[in-house]
Formats: sequence, structure tokens, C-alpha cells
Amino acid sequence: MFSKKKITLEYTVEKCSKCGMQRKRKFSQGDVLFAECSKCDSCDGMSFIEKVFGETLEQ
Amino acid sequence: MSLVNFTSFDFDQLFAMGDDTNPLMMLVWILPIFFFVFYGQRIQLYVTSGEIKKGISKLDGFRNESRDELINYVKNNLKPVDDPVQKIDRFIDYFTIMPVDMDPNGIVDKVRHIVRSREDYTREHVRSISPQMSDIELTKVQTLLEIASSLQMIYKIINHMYLTAKKQNNYPLILPLQMILPFIMEQSEAMKEAIPVFKKGQPVGDGIGPMVVGKMMLKNQKETVAFQTVLVKSEFEGRKLFLLKAEGPGSTVGRPADGLEKIVSENKIDAIIMVDAALKMEGEDSAAVARGFGAAIGGIGTEKFEIEAIATSKNIPIFSIVVKQSVKEAITLMTKEIADKADDVRTQVYEMIQENTTQGQSIAIIGVGNTAGVPQ
Ligand SMILES: [Zn+2]
Repeated sequence: MFSKKKITLEYTVEKCSKCGMQRKRKFSQGDVLFAECSKCDSCDGMSFIEKVFGETLEQ
Repeated sequence: MSLVNFTSFDFDQLFAMGDDTNPLMMLVWILPIFFFVFYGQRIQLYVTSGEIKKGISKLDGFRNESRDELINYVKNNLKPVDDPVQKIDRFIDYFTIMPVDMDPNGIVDKVRHIVRSREDYTREHVRSISPQMSDIELTKVQTLLEIASSLQMIYKIINHMYLTAKKQNNYPLILPLQMILPFIMEQSEAMKEAIPVFKKGQPVGDGIGPMVVGKMMLKNQKETVAFQTVLVKSEFEGRKLFLLKAEGPGSTVGRPADGLEKIVSENKIDAIIMVDAALKMEGEDSAAVARGFGAAIGGIGTEKFEIEAIATSKNIPIFSIVVKQSVKEAITLMTKEIADKADDVRTQVYEMIQENTTQGQSIAIIGVGNTAGVPQ
């Protein structure tokens, strides 16, 4: 009766292998850990998927 | 001045306790006692069965939902050759008969044989739904099928216990049901919530072991050492490392014991380190990391038995690092807290190697758990 509706937001964290910059974004279908994904924003290194996780919010 | 004097209520008068000569009052007191003596159980049965009925209809919903999700997934993603509904319904009802344990000698081999043949045969049957299905898709469908058939089985058993108790008006029979129902509901809800996670191929909490070892494997030559199980040989501070995990990013736990057996048969191993998720106790913090001795691996116990047997016969110590989590966290999308622990656990693995082995020794490191979404 008093339980709030819970929603889980899915995130992917990309990490640059060169400068260590981390970027958190929404999970998109097909993301798996350690996959190469994009050029780093701040250097010429490649970023890899470091983590995929969910954060649960109460509404 | 006060209108009501709270201090001088006459309780005797209020409850007519002093008035034990009034036969009508006596009846008013005694009748309910008799009533509850004879009908108390039945009243309790009605109250409790209402609760249980709610639980059962929830379970019914879960099993239908999981079945529909599975069918939709197969229909929408896998281009089945013909209508898969009938076939899937048949798979969901598959049962497993565990071997006789009156004579426990050799029972592990029997259990392993039965469980493995079940896995092998369902894999082949699932493949026949859509022959061009990739191996990763196959593991997904197999996991979804496992969830759907578990939920089906749970519903059937709980419903059976409830209906029997009700049919026989048997209150004592309903008591154990009332006691286990909260645990069953927790597990079933977790299983239901695991469905979308496995569909999307995301890592689950149980995947923390493979996540830790998988990262240590990166940029190394991988070889398949057992069914759905990969091995990487690498080095760390003068020690040889044999890294072992199930093959990601499919949803499988692989066969770490077979892998270990192969490693041990070809190399001299001086220590085994296992990284796994472990069930936390109520009140313990989620994602807490703990170290210990012995084989950290769940499941029905055949893999654990085999790993222990290998370690014992070769006199290899087994160390373990576990990440604590609830049932739900273990099979649903990995939480941030657990994912954040990966680096810490990896550091602890290296620490363990330094503390317990010397240069020139060889260590097998096993990342135990489901590798959905966790390649290497
Ligand atoms: Zn960078």
C-alpha cells in the first residue's frame, strides 16, 4: 500500500585506457564489458566499457 | 477542576469481573472461549489462506509472464522455423529426477550426469527452434527457459500444498507453507526481474567474479579449456597465472572444474584462488568483500565437489574472495555498489597472490559466476 514504485536506470561507464577519463551514459543495447566503444573526448586514446550497472530509484 | 477523573476508574465494574454471580455475564465470557477452542484453527486457516492465495496468484502471474516473455523473445529475435509455442511449453514442463541417495557413494557423478544431459539435450532442442541462432543467443534462450520452468515448478508445488491443505481443512499443513512463502516470493520476484536483464545481455550481480578475472585476461591469448570455459596464461611478479572463467558474453557459468582439472593435469599448481559472489546474511552490507579458505562456488554442488577433490588430491590450498549480495542482486542487473567493487577485488586478488605464494610458483585463478555481458 505504501510501497513506492521503483525504477531501475541502466548505465554504462566508459573509461579511457590512456588518460583514465570516465564517462557515464545510458546503457544501449549491445553494450558488454571491456568492449571498445569510442574515441576519448580529451585525448587520442580509445575508451572501453568499464562497467554496466543499474541504479534503483524510488518514485 | 476536571470533567473526567482519570484516576478513579473502577475496572472491576467496567469489565464486570467482580460480578461473577451474573450467569449471563459468565456466558458472555465463556462462550467465546469455547468458540475459539473449536473454531480457532479454522479461523486462522481462513485468514492465512487469504494471504497465501494472494501469493499464489502472484506466482501464477510470474510464470505466465516468464513464459510469454520467452515466447516473444524467440518469435521476435530468432526467426523460428515454425511456431515455437508448443515446443516451448513442452520444455517448460521438463522435469529432472535426481538419483537415489540411499547409497551416496558415487552420487556426484550421477547428479552431474543427469544435470549435464539435461543441459545438453535442452540446448539441442532449443537450437532446433531456430538452427541459425548464435551460441550467445542460445545461452540467453536457455537461461530464459530455465527461469520460466523454475517459476512454473514453484507455482505448481506451492499451489499443490495450498490446495491439499484446503481440501483437507488441515491447518498444520498450511503452517510450513506460510513460513516458506516469503522466501519463495523473494526468489520468484528476483527471477521475474532477471528476465529483461538476461534478454538484454547485461551483467548480473553474480557476474562479479568473471568481471574481475575477465579484466585480468584482456589482451592475452585465450584458449577454450573446457565446454564454454576459457583459459588465459599470464604472469605476475614472477609467478605464472592460469586465469579461468566461463566464456562471455553468453549467459553461462561454464565448467570451471573441468577447466581446472585440465590445468592441473598439465601443470604444477601451488594455489587456487576463487572469486565469486556470495549470499549476504540479512543485516550485512551489500557488496561487502570478504576473504576466506575453501572453494567459493554455488550451484548444485558437483563443480564444488570436483574442485575440492582436485585440490585435495594434489594438496593445493584454495583461497576465496567473495562479494556479498542478496538473492535478488545476484540474478538481476549488477548494482553500482557491486560494479564499483571490481577494482578493489582485483587488487585483493593480487595481494593474495603476493601474500600466499612465492616467485616461480603457479596459481590458478577462477572467476566463478554467470558471464552474461562479461566477455574476456
Ligand atoms: Zn583519454
